[in-house]
Amino acid sequence: MTAKLFKVKVNGQHELTVDASEGTLLDALEKHQLEVHYHCKSGFCGACRSKLKSGSVRYLTDPLAYVRKGDFLPCCCVPESDLDIEH
Amino acid sequence: MSYSTFNQEQTNPLAEPMFFGNSVNVARYDQQKHSIFEKLIEKQISFFWRPEEVDVSRDRVDFNKLTASEKHVFISNLKYQTLLDSIQGRSPNIALLPIVSLPELETWIETWSFFETIHSRSYTHILRNLFSDPSEIFEDIVINDQIKLRANDISRYYDDLIFYTQLWQTHGEGKVTVEGVEHNVTRRELKKKLFLCINSVNALEAIRFYVSFACTFAFAERELMEGNAKIIRLIARDENVHLTSTQHMINLWQDGEDDPEMAEIAEELADEAYEIFMTAVKQEKQWAHYLFKDGSMIGLNESMLCQYVEYIANLRMQAIGYDAPFPERRSNPLPWMNKYLVSDNVQVAPQEAEISSYLVGQIDSSVDASDLGDFDL
Ligand code: FES
Ligand SMILES: [Fe+2]
Ligand SMILES: [Fe+2]
Repeated sequence: MTAKLFKVKVNGQHELTVDASEGTLLDALEKHQLEVHYHCKSGFCGACRSKLKSGSVRYLTDPLAYVRKGDFLPCCCVPESDLDIEH
Repeated sequence: MSYSTFNQEQTNPLAEPMFFGNSVNVARYDQQKHSIFEKLIEKQISFFWRPEEVDVSRDRVDFNKLTASEKHVFISNLKYQTLLDSIQGRSPNIALLPIVSLPELETWIETWSFFETIHSRSYTHILRNLFSDPSEIFEDIVINDQIKLRANDISRYYDDLIFYTQLWQTHGEGKVTVEGVEHNVTRRELKKKLFLCINSVNALEAIRFYVSFACTFAFAERELMEGNAKIIRLIARDENVHLTSTQHMINLWQDGEDDPEMAEIAEELADEAYEIFMTAVKQEKQWAHYLFKDGSMIGLNESMLCQYVEYIANLRMQAIGYDAPFPERRSNPLPWMNKYLVSDNVQVAPQEAEISSYLVGQIDSSVDASDLGDFDL
């Protein structure tokens, strides 16, 4: 698969380059050694809930956890554009 | 407003609120007001497991090697979990089924409660393996003060809702005196009791299990009581589905997406709901204190557990629109917990050989040509 690279800014301090063709956004944060919050990693528990300040994401599986306005679940999505997030 | 097991009135389930509308008649799922509950049913059923399929026989040897204080931690947690699932195995049914108005939610409640009964049965499975007669452990659950304190706080919101619903069903709205006490039964009062009850259940599903989960997984980190840990992983996975359902109910109410009166009530009782949650937080910390009264265990102590409760409380409160109650506790003090909470642990499997998704219903589906041996086909 060809790499789909996006810039992801996390908590206003880290700038990562994330390949949307490889794993979920949460995997990418983990790979970059950031502290990650999760339980199920499958979109149903909501423990990874984060703020999407700008940009858009695409869900790989339909999230079952309630997603409040402005929130998203990094364990089951990939970036669709450059992102600014609070995790 | 007496309950009918098959409401003969023509109703439109798409226009009903989750609760206190018309009672459900046809159990149909072709159309759904809140399709999330149907999805949760599917998810939960896909997680079906049987306690007896998890081999806990090696735990007996491990258990005998534990120190007295570690045994206290292990057994006390099992007692507490037994209490929680005893309540959850019946109360959603008794309290919520008489007042639910959507078929998908009605079936979700039944599915949810049924899985809690699997959890209850698993505790018997674990204890039977450790003791030739576990009855002393079970009997202590109704006399142990630490457990009773929690039982009281968990069951009272359910009991209150159940009692008022019964008054409403038999007397309708208005004042009614029972055993010398006057009760003013109104639909709004009932809805308030429902709101508090769901918030109390939400707190139960959100944090009440986690002190005990942490102890179980701390034992597993030392390769002790691993059969038990496998069961608790399956339970933890289920509890996360239950939690999502109560978070959905609360958020749907708050957003006015369900019943406008419930949106008002959610605002009116926001502080009270917050207090219910924070009382549960306090009780869990006290539970950690009780567990370690005679000494810690390797890898875990009271203060780490309390920090973990605060960390989890932040996640849970933000999920229902509150600010994090412990803003200084942003970091997970027990990061190893996560690998046990992952639902499909294929890549991140810890030291144990089996993964929860493969623990149950094991079927050897790989058939090699050589397995067929001399069969002439
Ligand atoms: S980790 Fe459970 S929803 Fe993302
Ligand atoms: Fe349970
Ligand atoms: Fe539960």
